[in-house]
Amino acid sequence: MSGADRDEGAPIVPGSPLARALDGYVVPGLSAGFADKVLAAAANRPPLLPELRRNDVTGTARGWRLGRRIAIGVAGFCALASAAAATGLLERVGLPVPSAGKVWASITGDEPASAPAKPVVAVAAAPVDPAPAALAPVRIEGLIDTPEELAEAFRRIDEVRKGRSELRRRLLDERIALEKERRAAAGLPLPTPEQEARIRQRLEDARLRRERMLNERIEARREELRERVESGEALTREDIMRPIHQEQRSLQQRVKLERLRQMSPEARREALRQLPPEQRRALKEAWQQQRAQRLGREAPLAGEAPVEAMPEARVQPEVSPSETPPDGPPR
Amino acid sequence: MAAPMADDAALAARMAARDADALREVIARHAAILNRIAYRMVGNAHEAEDIVQEACLRLWDHSARLAQRHPAGTSAGAALRLSGWLKRVVTNIAIDRLRAGRRISDEEVPERADEAPLADSRIEAEQRDAGTRALVMALPERQRAAIVLTYYEELSNAEAAEAMDMNIKAFESLLHRARASLRQAFAAQGDAL
Repeated sequence: MSGADRDEGAPIVPGSPLARALDGYVVPGLSAGFADKVLAAAANRPPLLPELRRNDVTGTARGWRLGRRIAIGVAGFCALASAAAATGLLERVGLPVPSAGKVWASITGDEPASAPAKPVVAVAAAPVDPAPAALAPVRIEGLIDTPEELAEAFRRIDEVRKGRSELRRRLLDERIALEKERRAAAGLPLPTPEQEARIRQRLEDARLRRERMLNERIEARREELRERVESGEALTREDIMRPIHQEQRSLQQRVKLERLRQMSPEARREALRQLPPEQRRALKEAWQQQRAQRLGREAPLAGEAPVEAMPEARVQPEVSPSETPPDGPPR
Repeated sequence: MAAPMADDAALAARMAARDADALREVIARHAAILNRIAYRMVGNAHEAEDIVQEACLRLWDHSARLAQRHPAGTSAGAALRLSGWLKRVVTNIAIDRLRAGRRISDEEVPERADEAPLADSRIEAEQRDAGTRALVMALPERQRAAIVLTYYEELSNAEAAEAMDMNIKAFESLLHRARASLRQAFAAQGDAL
């Protein structure tokens, strides 16, 4: 600010030309009766509207209201984000969602415990070959007329059976892992380690029981075949494989029939209705044969449950596509 | 400068109780100075009176709140200054009206010369008055208010700043600019004459 500016902004000195000019600004007085006019207007003044509520509250209440809105907003955002993460929406748009374990590991600096997730990744990355070399169908060409050739055929069959058994066990593990992952993604409760161990033990017991029954029958059949070879008979492929298939079918049918017996009549009827006609027919025949054996006559007794009333909700394929007897548990 | 009224809180309480005499007393005490401020701000007697009336009615409306915040007989009541409150209201109304351009037109120039005796002296006085008014009216509204409050009403800078809802530093800066503008306008007017 220059000196001239400072002088121009200085107070106006009384008696100066500027002061004399300003003093000439005469103000006329108020009109007569001004007070009465104001009082009359005041008397006709409408009452004031009540104050707005927001002007009436204290700072604390206003702060709490603001805080509550912020809290509701944050909670809503968290709920939406959680829903998006749970439904996989974020991953679909390319936003990786770390698990709580990874976040905790990044905070604490520990290695993430990602071991349980590895089998799932491995399954997705490398799908199991449906027909690996060890599971290839057993090929028997020509006649078998020596015990060595028969033993070799049995060895190959056992090898394939063993490979299939391993494959089924692995598929079972993968299926359990996938189911656990699905339940975790959907927010459903996961089985405890004790529950999972019990389920696995039950499945393993069922598998062993079926395998034992099948082995007993296969071994009896093999003993018969060995006797035939030792007696000089030449066996064909059908002589070896067909009885195995028949045994397998018979075993499966017995299991199914046992299940059907345990169902209520309505459930049995419904389960049978859902079966393919050929399976329904086969079950009917097996049922009749069992009854005939048990009762010593061909036809079932009048008044007993009809064969059509027998169920099987889910039936395994009767014949293995690889021409070897399946030894897995019927599902 | 008028001394602060010691019973302003009591007046506010009476007005809150809708005592018309209390409002009449307030008008008797403060209307003149309010009229001067308003007139020098807007340059029109009718509008100045209208502004003063509006300020008094606002006081009447807000008396209940004032009485609640400044109960009579308490330190808060002793701090109540109705004159300062009214000056602030009048200043703000005047500035608002000037900004809104709702001023009634300036006083009309007589269409023909007055044939009455001493007409020359009256015309000369009117011309001098018009010149002074033009000086003040040439200022922007807030600078004009600063001059009116400090020069004409002889308020201290602090009181004038309070009347204009400003802090003291900002008001002093405004007042400095107002005086400089006034001097420049006065010099220009002298040159023109």
